[in-house]
Amino acid sequence: MMGGRGQDRENANKMRIRGQDLKTANMPGGKNKKVSASRKHTRASIWMILPLYIFTLVFVACPLLYMVAMSFATPGEVHGVQWIFTLDNYKKILEPVYLNTFLQSFQLAFTSTICITLIGYPFGYFMAKLPAGGKKKAMLLLMLPFWVNSLIRLYGWIIILQKKGLLNFVLKKLGLIEKPLKIMYSYPAIVIGMIYVLLPFMILSVYSSAEKLDWSLVEAARDLGASKAKAFWTVSFKLTLPGLLSGVILTFVPSMGLFFIADILGGNKVVLVGSLIQDQMTRGNNWPFAAALAVIMMILTTLMILLYRKVTGASEVEGLG
Amino acid sequence: MQKKTSFFQKFYVAICLVFFYLPILVTMIFSFNSSKSLTKFTGFSMRWYTELLHNTEVSKAVYVSVTIAILATVISTVLGTITAIGLSKSRKVLKETLLNINNLPILNPDIVTAIGLMLLFSSLGFRKGYFTMLLAHISFCTPYVITSVYPKVRSLDPNLANAAMDLGATPFQALTKVIVPMIKDGIFAGALLAFTMSFDDFVISYFVSGNGVKNISIVVYNMTKRINPTINALSTIVIVVIVLVMVFANVLPKVLEKHASKHAKKIQRVIALFLVCALGFGLIKCGGGATESHVLKVYNAGEYIDQELLTQFEQEYNCTVVYETFESNEMMYTKLSGGESYDVLVPSDYMIERLIKEDYLQHIDWDLIPNKDNLMDEVMNKSYDPGNRYSCPYFWGTVGILYDTTVVDPADLQEGWDLLCDTKYKGNIYMYDSERDSFMIALKALGYSMNTTDENQIQEAYQWLIDQRNTMDPIYAGDDVIDNMISGNKAMAVVYSGDASYIISENPNMDYFTPDQGTNNWYDAMVITRDCNEVELAHEFINFMLEEESALSNTEEVGYTSPVKSVYETMITGDYEGISSYIPDFENPNSEIFRYQEPKIKQKYAELWTKIKAE
Repeated sequence: MMGGRGQDRENANKMRIRGQDLKTANMPGGKNKKVSASRKHTRASIWMILPLYIFTLVFVACPLLYMVAMSFATPGEVHGVQWIFTLDNYKKILEPVYLNTFLQSFQLAFTSTICITLIGYPFGYFMAKLPAGGKKKAMLLLMLPFWVNSLIRLYGWIIILQKKGLLNFVLKKLGLIEKPLKIMYSYPAIVIGMIYVLLPFMILSVYSSAEKLDWSLVEAARDLGASKAKAFWTVSFKLTLPGLLSGVILTFVPSMGLFFIADILGGNKVVLVGSLIQDQMTRGNNWPFAAALAVIMMILTTLMILLYRKVTGASEVEGLG
Repeated sequence: MQKKTSFFQKFYVAICLVFFYLPILVTMIFSFNSSKSLTKFTGFSMRWYTELLHNTEVSKAVYVSVTIAILATVISTVLGTITAIGLSKSRKVLKETLLNINNLPILNPDIVTAIGLMLLFSSLGFRKGYFTMLLAHISFCTPYVITSVYPKVRSLDPNLANAAMDLGATPFQALTKVIVPMIKDGIFAGALLAFTMSFDDFVISYFVSGNGVKNISIVVYNMTKRINPTINALSTIVIVVIVLVMVFANVLPKVLEKHASKHAKKIQRVIALFLVCALGFGLIKCGGGATESHVLKVYNAGEYIDQELLTQFEQEYNCTVVYETFESNEMMYTKLSGGESYDVLVPSDYMIERLIKEDYLQHIDWDLIPNKDNLMDEVMNKSYDPGNRYSCPYFWGTVGILYDTTVVDPADLQEGWDLLCDTKYKGNIYMYDSERDSFMIALKALGYSMNTTDENQIQEAYQWLIDQRNTMDPIYAGDDVIDNMISGNKAMAVVYSGDASYIISENPNMDYFTPDQGTNNWYDAMVITRDCNEVELAHEFINFMLEEESALSNTEEVGYTSPVKSVYETMITGDYEGISSYIPDFENPNSEIFRYQEPKIKQKYAELWTKIKAE
């Protein structure tokens, strides 16, 4: 079985690392210990990253390269791909319909990201100030909803937002509204859905940044006479900015692709790039065009990451968690 | 400075958590609902919990989801952590390329990753199923581990390991006793993320899986046709279990501390053993399955069969049925053309015509199907498959307008399809989110054939839909329309007759009509694929579905119109008496069946439909 072979190779790699470990472990200490130790390390480190390197090349890079190649191919007569070079797929993206889709996706992603930042930043920041036990609990509480299928959770929102739903019922009881609000199947409903699904990414990203914050710096600023707000702005905010920006990337990009939210909560009134890709892959059966759309998305993402690096001066995007 | 959290800050965190838990709480409440509705609470019952216990599809899916999530988490956490540690000591070029490629699955739309992997597995000749799903999950989980662990590793003092080794530690000890404890928060966060992503994944799993291996998401997605509250019950159980685990995880260590620490070790071992067993089972699962003597692979639309029938068939014919479901004909086609193999499919008319043209099907040997005499004449010998050489009818019906009799004036029904443009009902309409059905409506309203290839007519229909969008503000809904109409949320909706029957049986205020301008007469039929491995068994399956008893329980369960004559007659005088949608109006000379569309025309419709929605 072919499947077995891939796994064997992976196991073999793991064995090799283990072998390496043993070999280095058994090396007698003594002369030039320090030198050999550091050299050992670089060599060991190569063995440490090799398994994933190969894995990544096969299961991440290969499919994507295939996708890039496909974006320059001609759609097949019936379905699939004819390997004839063309730029038509990219030219097609410039048609007003598709440009408009990109524009709409951008607008929605922009609105969602701003809302998510405004809500998520304080949350992540406050979370980092909790005691260690509280942090773990907050993190678990944050991840727990994800263990309920996301479609089910969105159905939960329909129950809340619909005309005769929970929200309208409560607002009416409180006497805040007379007529039920029409939130379901509207733009705000999509934004709520986006916030709901993507907020944890922003929170975790800000949190990981804020958690590393050296609080004595804030204290120093306060001691030197800065007001609370000023101390926050000049110290805390500046130092958590990388986390905030990586949160922006982690929410902005996916929000152009999360089509099922627009489907379920928005009554399909907004077409997102994600749903366009999905449509072309399945219903439209135009794989090369879908591939081209995906490549453009990838390029936009890369640009955002480059911009991020320029702004923060960091070499990698700040991690989640 | 003491970093203190003020009351306001705690309050804010709490409010946000309410936002996270509100929808879940709502679904938990609805898991005790006595009716199927997800929008209206009709009374308390435990019915969905009992159904969950009897649903083997769901329990299998839980098994797959849990074991895949555990395996993928363990493997990707180990792999990711080792790599992250190694990376911090690697050369810059190596590091950058790996990190950049590795981040792509996080940032790419899922569908891109999914199709890419599907193509890779197909071209490598992997048998799709548990193993391919696991590989895919590892590939998108590892980046989350690395992004969590790597920053922690980087913030470590690089001399730590050296110091440990100078003090006599072996490199392995330096790793496990010094480095890992210092980055354990990052590892924990990464593992948590990995588990979560794996557990909740739908799109990637759907495309890389096959041979009947389904996780919870795939089952749920296929249930959206008619959302099934057993899933709510399942979610409730998942939440309760996790909360219990969390409580235990917090309480247990404290209890253990009081007792001897030996016990703690023992318990750790028990847990480890349990995990190993789970892994073992998972691996056996991915190897097994091929030992069965007779396996029939059936691919049908979601929520489109009485599951009991499958068990019955398995017992009667001493075989195993691998049953998979799709959400649309096009989704089925994508998988089929992606190299997936099935024995029996249940597509719609136009798709059957296409599959015949592209040589995906084989002839049905009607001599092997004695129950063919049960079929009614009205459903045979249609344009999509003249002489029924390839297909045997499964369900049939029309497309029409479902309307609320308490809101819509009966006199207005005269307007036919133009009722959908009557400004009296502005903002009170569901259209169906499908270019095929929407253009059918527009073309029929204009008096053209729905199979037209005339550019001008198509353009006119496009204008009709644009005008309707602008004046009527309709909602382009999917299958959620069923639940919404049962709750009476809008005055009217475009629906399939089978769905209409179900809605009317749940909400008697609704009624259904097909306009005189004509509509789409559709047939879903069973076909046998060209590379079917179990030709005889496939025929036996088709024959079994045509038996009066099975056809009756099938139509009762699903609500769509049966092609079996006696069953049809039983239904219209029995359960579905007075429900007009169960009797498809096939007398109307203006109605048509969808024909195969040339790719160019199909592309044209798809583009115009995008325009209508994105305008």
